[in-house]
Amino acid sequence: MEILSQLIVNSVIAGAMYALMALGFNLIYSVTRFFNLAHGVAAAAGGYAVFYLTSSLGQNVYIATAAGIVSAGFLGYGFDRLVFLRLRRRKTSSMVQLVASLGLLTSVQAVLAILFTNEFQTFPAGHTLYNVLGGAITGTQTAVVASGFFITLLLALILRHTMFGKAVNAVSDDAEVARIVGIDTDRVTGRVFFMGSAIAGIAGILTGFDTGLGPTMGMGLLLKGVIACIIGGMGNVWGGTAGSMLLGFAENFGIWKIPGQWKDAISFVILIAFLLLRPEGMIKK
Amino acid sequence: MEYAINLAILFLIYAILGLSLNLVVGYTGLLSTAHAAFYGIGAYAAAILVTSHNVNFFMALLAGVLASALAALLIGVVLSRFAGDYYALVSLGFNVIAYSVLLNWQGLTRGPLGIPGISRPYLLGLAFSSNGPFLVLALIFLAMAYIISRFIAGSSFGRVLKAIREDEGAIQVFGYDTVRYKLAVFVISAAMAAAAGALFASYITFIDPSSFTVMESVFILAIIILGGLSNLKGSVLGAAIMVLLPEALRFAGFPASMAAELRQAVYGLSLILLMLFRPQGILGEYRL
Amino acid sequence: MNKLETQDLVKRFAGVAAIDGLSISIEAGRITSIIGPNGSGKSTLVNVLSGMLPIDGGLVVVDAQPPLKSIRPSKAPSYGITRTFQEVRLFEQMTVLDNVLVVLTERNLRSAFFERHRAHHLGQAEAVLTRTGLWGKRGDLAVNLSYGQRKLLEIARVLAMCATSQAGIILFDEPFAGLFPQMVKTVSSIIKELRNSGITAVLIEHNMDLIRELSDHVIVMDSGRLLAEGSAAEVLERRDVIEAYLGE
Ligand SMILES: Nc1ncnc2c1ncn2[C@@H]1O[C@H](COP(=O)(O)OP(=O)(O)OP(=O)(O)O)[C@@H](O)[C@H]1O
Ligand SMILES: [Mg+2]
Repeated sequence: MEILSQLIVNSVIAGAMYALMALGFNLIYSVTRFFNLAHGVAAAAGGYAVFYLTSSLGQNVYIATAAGIVSAGFLGYGFDRLVFLRLRRRKTSSMVQLVASLGLLTSVQAVLAILFTNEFQTFPAGHTLYNVLGGAITGTQTAVVASGFFITLLLALILRHTMFGKAVNAVSDDAEVARIVGIDTDRVTGRVFFMGSAIAGIAGILTGFDTGLGPTMGMGLLLKGVIACIIGGMGNVWGGTAGSMLLGFAENFGIWKIPGQWKDAISFVILIAFLLLRPEGMIKK
Repeated sequence: MEYAINLAILFLIYAILGLSLNLVVGYTGLLSTAHAAFYGIGAYAAAILVTSHNVNFFMALLAGVLASALAALLIGVVLSRFAGDYYALVSLGFNVIAYSVLLNWQGLTRGPLGIPGISRPYLLGLAFSSNGPFLVLALIFLAMAYIISRFIAGSSFGRVLKAIREDEGAIQVFGYDTVRYKLAVFVISAAMAAAAGALFASYITFIDPSSFTVMESVFILAIIILGGLSNLKGSVLGAAIMVLLPEALRFAGFPASMAAELRQAVYGLSLILLMLFRPQGILGEYRL
Repeated sequence: MNKLETQDLVKRFAGVAAIDGLSISIEAGRITSIIGPNGSGKSTLVNVLSGMLPIDGGLVVVDAQPPLKSIRPSKAPSYGITRTFQEVRLFEQMTVLDNVLVVLTERNLRSAFFERHRAHHLGQAEAVLTRTGLWGKRGDLAVNLSYGQRKLLEIARVLAMCATSQAGIILFDEPFAGLFPQMVKTVSSIIKELRNSGITAVLIEHNMDLIRELSDHVIVMDSGRLLAEGSAAEVLERRDVIEAYLGE
């Protein structure tokens, strides 16, 4: 019984973390229609920004966190202005943009390693344990679950009820038509990059508090986000979150019987199974 | 001198990897990001057979090639269901799985500890234990890889691959079962990568999973995109540049401890610049 | 000589029928034209018959052989069916010569590696490219051809399929659209020659003069159904046919 509650709690924590990655990735995909692999390094950069501000500059954790989220957002925005916007204007294929994003992921990740070394860095965080339904959960992990939940909700509300949200939906339905009816699609896309990357930054920062930071952490986070999106349904907010939860549960219940190191492999097996059997994901757009 | 020979051998290994990946990405238009997996299978198969079973290197290499070809056949069957971005993503997934296996199947691979003490090749009393003769051996392998690739690119098989790249739906209408062609080229490419892996293992004499990550696949991809897709000389040129460029930076005063990160920064940046300014690479005859 | 027949053929897109219970019969060794307003399902029919789209209902019968419930991609030539594309689909970053050679060479993997009839295939390629006036362009990439030359290369490709006797039925999807008069002449004389050599030609076309000139039989489609059929003279007089064309 106890082990079951712990597994459920762990699944929800993992699912919420993946959801944070999936939300931004899905949002960016919905307007640009390419797999932005650089999304992972925005998460890592957010984490490292907080690490730098707290450890080297001695800033307050809350201020540092806010600054970390914003810097992740600006990094994503910069990716768009410097690279993807130009590629879009030239109407390049989504493969070209994917390869460029792979280049961004690799090079920015290497820069992080050069600046902060390959050492695993940890934040000075409290590790008080709370008890939920018989499972233990730390303060940070509570924050992960809360952020995953609130940001999914917030994003869904923004997309449904604001002018910006309507513009995003218009661009994601048909960028050409959106432009004709007077939407500044480049501006919308730029903001989407900012928002999506800022959300990734939250995931990176929380990972830092939860387990610590490494320069290559972005890749791992990204892959979970991508897989969650695809099994949940590309281009759909709820789909990304649903997929994340499924993935979180599958991995944690999987490792009940299978050793933990196989988590990554398990998630890709799930991805491939979905792509073969139900390519449109759990929730159709 | 040793330093130059070392670089030359690495260049030759990456040139083989580039040529073989170019068959899949450049000629057939399938953006595979799993090449390091087949490279790794070849390296590990050879290393395990040479160290624990005392098999002659060349037999071990052959076994690695076969193992890799078999893996490629299985993976290729799944991959043949996908195209475009999804192909890239799923192949990346297979690289992650392969890496996971190398890292976690400790009974076979010793996991993160790696496999030390892989001996250099010998054949009919001819030993390749010092780097000079090994260079010659690697050169012979590159020559073979080049000849095979040229033969494929110039054959009517190669022409069908290009047609698949240009318009798979259209070439099917003219009676080609494209899945077979895609599988065939994928298997050939993986077999060549495995040969490069075996060569690498016996050259370095120690391997661990970290040489066969997704990032390594991206590195090989950067080589062929820089040199130019669908052009064999381009792959060789790309390998030369990508292997030498980080060295040049080292001479420019960057510390050696950051060599690996520097190399990553360089090829990452070159991918971005290529996509922005010259997507066909230096000698490319096809752009993504 | 191949005869082609459909029985209650159905093809739907997202539930909407683009071909809606179509039963037609196409005589062997004749030119049968299919006309009908935009969106009436002509190209969809070609796509289904060439195995590019799965069949949702009904049957296809070739030469009174066992009826087909589905035509797998890449299997159309085994029933003698080949086609051209309304929106030209060439192998863009390949030479004109390679665009033709690729349909001439043998299909199995072994002969793809070890080609034995290279000279023979080159001879066939020269013949079809000369016939379409493209031999001088053989070294150019397809992507660099003019619009008309691209259309002609499509024709060259189906001629190559005939040269390897893999085609008994050719589906031409608007081969004349946008061509200069000189090229129209070339293409129409090629289609006539093909018929005279026993090929079954299906011609989709909007130009009524060409329909009158070339057709042995005309089939009119509307909303995925058979509206009328008969000789060009008969069919083009009918009120419902004229209305279908004007009424959209
Ligand atoms: N791939 C597709 N997906 C969804 N709908 C399609 C697809 N192809 C065709 N349709 C629809 O099916 C109907 C028939 O189209 P089709 O292209 O067969 O018409 P057509 O008779 O060839 O017209 P035209 O004379 O303009 O070429 C149209 O309503 C079209 O929008
Ligand atoms: Mg049409």
